[in-house]
Amino acid sequence: MSKTASFRAFAGIALVGAMALGITACSGGSSAESTGAAGSDGELTTIGFVAVGPEGGWRTANEQNIQDSFSKENGFDLKYAPATNGDQNSQITAFTSFIDEGVDAILLSATEATGWESVLERAQEAEIPVVLLDRGIEPNDTSLYTSHIAPDNVGISASAAEWANAQFPDGANYVVLEGPPGLSVVNDRNKGWDETIDANMKKLESQSANWSTEEAKSVFETILKANNNDVQLVFAQNDEMGLGAALAVEEAGLKPGTDVKIITIDGTKAALTALSEGRLSFVAEYNPLFGDTAIDVVKSALAGETVESDIVVPSVTFDSPEAATEALPTRQF
Amino acid sequence: MSAPTPPRASIPRSGARQFAVSVVRQPYIWAVVALLLLIVINLIKDPGYLGISVNATTGNLSGNVIDILRASAPIMMIAIGMTLVIATRGIDLSVGSVMAVSGAVSMEFMNSSGDGSVGGAILAAAFAIGISAVLGAVNGVLVSIVGLQPFITTLITMLAGRGLAKVITSGQNTSASNEPFRWIANGTVFGFPVVFVIGAVIVAIVAVLIRRTALGLMIESIGINPKAARMAGIRPIGILISVYIVSGILAGIAGIFSTASVMTVEVAKTGLSAEMDAILAVVIGGTSLAGGKFSLTGSVIGALLIATLDKTIVFLAIPSSATPAFKALVIVVICLLQSRRVRALFNQRRAPRTPSAPTAPAPTAPRTTRKETVSA
Amino acid sequence: MAATEPIVEMSDISIEFPGVKALQHVDFRLFPGEVHTLMGENGAGKSTLIKALTGVYKIDGGSIRVAGAPRSFSGTADAQSAGISTVYQEVNLCDNLTIGENVMLGHEVRGHFGINWAKTHSAAHDALVGLGLGHLDTKQPLSSISLALQQLVAISRAMVTKSKVLILDEPTSSLDANEVEGLFAVMRRLRDQGVAILFVSHFLDQVYAISDRLTVLRNGEFVGEYRTSELDRSQLISKMIGKDFGALAALGSNRGRTVDADEPAFYSATDLGRKGSIDPVDIQVHRGEVVGLAGLLGSGRTELGRLMYGADRPDTGEVTIGGTTVEVHSPTAGLAKKIAFSTENRRDEGIIGDLTVRENLIVAVQARRGWARPLSRREQNELCEKYLVSLNVRPADPELPIKNLSGGNQQKVLLGRWLATQPELIILDEPTRGIDIGAKAEIQEAIATLAEEGMSVVFISSELEEVVRLSERIVVLKDHRKIGEIVNGPEITAETIVDLIATEGTTP
Repeated sequence: MSKTASFRAFAGIALVGAMALGITACSGGSSAESTGAAGSDGELTTIGFVAVGPEGGWRTANEQNIQDSFSKENGFDLKYAPATNGDQNSQITAFTSFIDEGVDAILLSATEATGWESVLERAQEAEIPVVLLDRGIEPNDTSLYTSHIAPDNVGISASAAEWANAQFPDGANYVVLEGPPGLSVVNDRNKGWDETIDANMKKLESQSANWSTEEAKSVFETILKANNNDVQLVFAQNDEMGLGAALAVEEAGLKPGTDVKIITIDGTKAALTALSEGRLSFVAEYNPLFGDTAIDVVKSALAGETVESDIVVPSVTFDSPEAATEALPTRQF
Repeated sequence: MSAPTPPRASIPRSGARQFAVSVVRQPYIWAVVALLLLIVINLIKDPGYLGISVNATTGNLSGNVIDILRASAPIMMIAIGMTLVIATRGIDLSVGSVMAVSGAVSMEFMNSSGDGSVGGAILAAAFAIGISAVLGAVNGVLVSIVGLQPFITTLITMLAGRGLAKVITSGQNTSASNEPFRWIANGTVFGFPVVFVIGAVIVAIVAVLIRRTALGLMIESIGINPKAARMAGIRPIGILISVYIVSGILAGIAGIFSTASVMTVEVAKTGLSAEMDAILAVVIGGTSLAGGKFSLTGSVIGALLIATLDKTIVFLAIPSSATPAFKALVIVVICLLQSRRVRALFNQRRAPRTPSAPTAPAPTAPRTTRKETVSA
Repeated sequence: MAATEPIVEMSDISIEFPGVKALQHVDFRLFPGEVHTLMGENGAGKSTLIKALTGVYKIDGGSIRVAGAPRSFSGTADAQSAGISTVYQEVNLCDNLTIGENVMLGHEVRGHFGINWAKTHSAAHDALVGLGLGHLDTKQPLSSISLALQQLVAISRAMVTKSKVLILDEPTSSLDANEVEGLFAVMRRLRDQGVAILFVSHFLDQVYAISDRLTVLRNGEFVGEYRTSELDRSQLISKMIGKDFGALAALGSNRGRTVDADEPAFYSATDLGRKGSIDPVDIQVHRGEVVGLAGLLGSGRTELGRLMYGADRPDTGEVTIGGTTVEVHSPTAGLAKKIAFSTENRRDEGIIGDLTVRENLIVAVQARRGWARPLSRREQNELCEKYLVSLNVRPADPELPIKNLSGGNQQKVLLGRWLATQPELIILDEPTRGIDIGAKAEIQEAIATLAEEGMSVVFISSELEEVVRLSERIVVLKDHRKIGEIVNGPEITAETIVDLIATEGTTP
């Protein structure tokens, strides 16, 4: 594979050289810089990015960060292929065409965890390293990919549960707002929470609100009525649902933050703003900005070095309006 | 022409009884039964389920019924549009995406103008509805003039529409603040949620437009027998385009309802699989997917049932992994009870010796014989 | 030629549908090695007889013997396994499969590992060679060959199953002269191999070119079995059309009336035509005149009526109505010009089944008024009252779904629909078909009355007697052309028209 790469680089230089000659021949005294810039163009590493596409604030930030990191300035030519309407088939199609094009490496954020074995094997045969971003695959066969870079969902929700335990030492009634059932993210976030949360905390209900603010609002208004407003804590598995729950709380004439405390995961600007206003109580970041880590991994993989198969992206938590206010001005997503 | 005047066939019946009989004969009767049953189940769980109280903090009326009415409004809108489209033998899969486009347009408009006034809200809504109407018109033209299949056409607009919503908001979930716009989804007038009142008024307008003019007759004619309708002088193109435009506009309104509730458009979520809810509401309401006769009342009841069902699932705290199965079960049972065969079975058991109603000659029978007797 | 033992013998067959006697005591015999044509107008019972033979319909009386043994089939597939194959007008093969696959479908040659395609194709090739179609490549997709060839492929498919009886139901209706010749060549070849062929066609010339014998049906009744050589064309036509005795003879006639020929025609068309449907025709209709369109089924009589109304879009011709040139390119335009057209195809183009009688009656009036000006319920009831009574519709309940009415009463409602639009020109395509004799007389009388009141009427019927009785002028059509125009008079009878059709330049 490195052979192909060097051959390409050579061909590129030759081509650019020829073009440069042509340009000089035509325009006479053209500047030397243009030739230099074109020269770097020829050495670009092509990366195929099989992405999820617009889904929400977190995803947009993540994919923008990846695209910004793998820039031409950094020596990459990134081909961005978002899924059409979250359809796995369109992702598999994009993935195989990247293999056929012979890209140097593939980044994959899978919409669904299962069903990737055969295409990953094809990439392996073509000696193209595959780096999984954010979402993992199932069954998690580490031999099929180079590395999986993601924040640790289990750890993050565990830290949220720890905060909840500290807030309600005498126990409380709580509700979980989940993503669509069956997703690995949802399973992991449930796992971290359920393992850590104290036994005196009573789970009233766990409902899916499909990551959506609107659905979360509608679901939570009914949960409040079903329990005569006797809910002290909401664990929303993403920011959007947490914001929906906050709206429902306000609609019911209660005060989010005092009457009902809301925990969310992701840490988007919208959530931090709400936290700074006291409408949310705890925001655990699920750090989307790991483009630089991804670059390092791709570079080492292409250089033939061994890469760790599971890389955890460090994430922080925000537990007070002050912390949120402080973080907001520099928040990128 | 000198034949004796045959007796006019009209059997006098007592008015109330006749009304009761006609209600029970409606195809959506089982949906009404299911609706009542769901409410009873909720009442068993909480006897105060139907209670409505004034919220001390906000001053609004609050209660489960209010929530259901509010949640049913967007479904009602798209279900009414879907009913008309289905009546013409079509289908409109794009309603969910049109909701997203409409939400995206209004949110983006209010976000960028920063106008929090009533005027800003009206302008945003008008703009959103206008674009929805254009999308509906595209469907209508492709179906009626170009002659594409409704399923394919609206599948294309469904995919393209969601894409358009993403383009409008650059893929971001966009929020805006405009109190009058928020009031549409969250406010109340005379104790009723504004959304439901607006929805009911719109349903009434559509119903009057359809049933007080000849549009309903023409739509049904096209749906039942397009060739015969054409031979009778009905122009299908105009009707089809209007029907898809109406569906687009109603989806646009539904989009406003659902984004106004949280003042955020979630480009990937708003209106997601709403077309399925709409189709279900239509079917539950007793309108056949094969087109023809339709019932707007039935579809409204269908929308109410779906909203109640969604709320009941949460109210009863049914685990989220079991909700799709529960929902499916309820709907399958209703559809089964409505099916002609099951109804026939019921009727047979009820009145085993009733002579069968006059039916059309078997479709395979030859059309032409001179010896046919003139009698029913 | 004819063997002594018939391969198919149907005797005293009766079939009844709800309210309709489709076949009454019909006999039919088919011998090996003959082409036997089933003749009759629409509704005579030809298709019903075929379906009775293949078991699609259950017979209510009579018996069917195949090769001497009594048989009753459960359907086409069952009949086919007994050696009786049917090839329909619309070829029912699979477009997306190859010719060979179509020929062998269900009879593929099987090897140890599923289908042996090489052998299958060579068997298909053999079957095609047997019909003189060796030039067809069995690996071509079926859709790549013409409809005529597809029909021949369908026949070879029937032959693969070793059929002894081949039923060809109107195979020639969409073929041109050369293709018909190709089909006939195949038919003769099969006949010489001893296959019995049951043929149905509306084209007299073709019938005379290929058949050995004829069986004529009329109104579901058996008229007779004849050798083709012993029955000339005009005899055949009168046997098919028959004569209605009794009540009809007493009816009044329009033949005495004449229309002032100097007065300009209310409706006048020159060179009105449409490719593939009818050659350009000139036709005039005066106010208060009944013009009959006469011709056999498929002569273009219906097509001409449709063009006049705008049901089909004419591609040649100029139309003037009341002296002004107009374009009538759609039913809506036709209605706007006060033209009405009552279709012969009641079920597919006439009634709107799930709607009520009232809605069916008012729909054309409403369509002309536009959606925004609905007829009030009172106006609707008035129209219903008027036409349900005057046309004696039974039951006269306007709120009954029209599909629950008998065919004759549906027809009356449709007539009411068109009369309610108060047309100045009404085109009636087979208005009296499928109606009992009393209702028929009522409708004929209504037509005469309408004309007397000044309405222009174009009257299309397969019953020539009826056309002669009602019309002032008769336009005669044959093979999608106008072949003559007769001014009615005492000396004109159905025979006059039959002779004209039979003798006029026989097509190859």
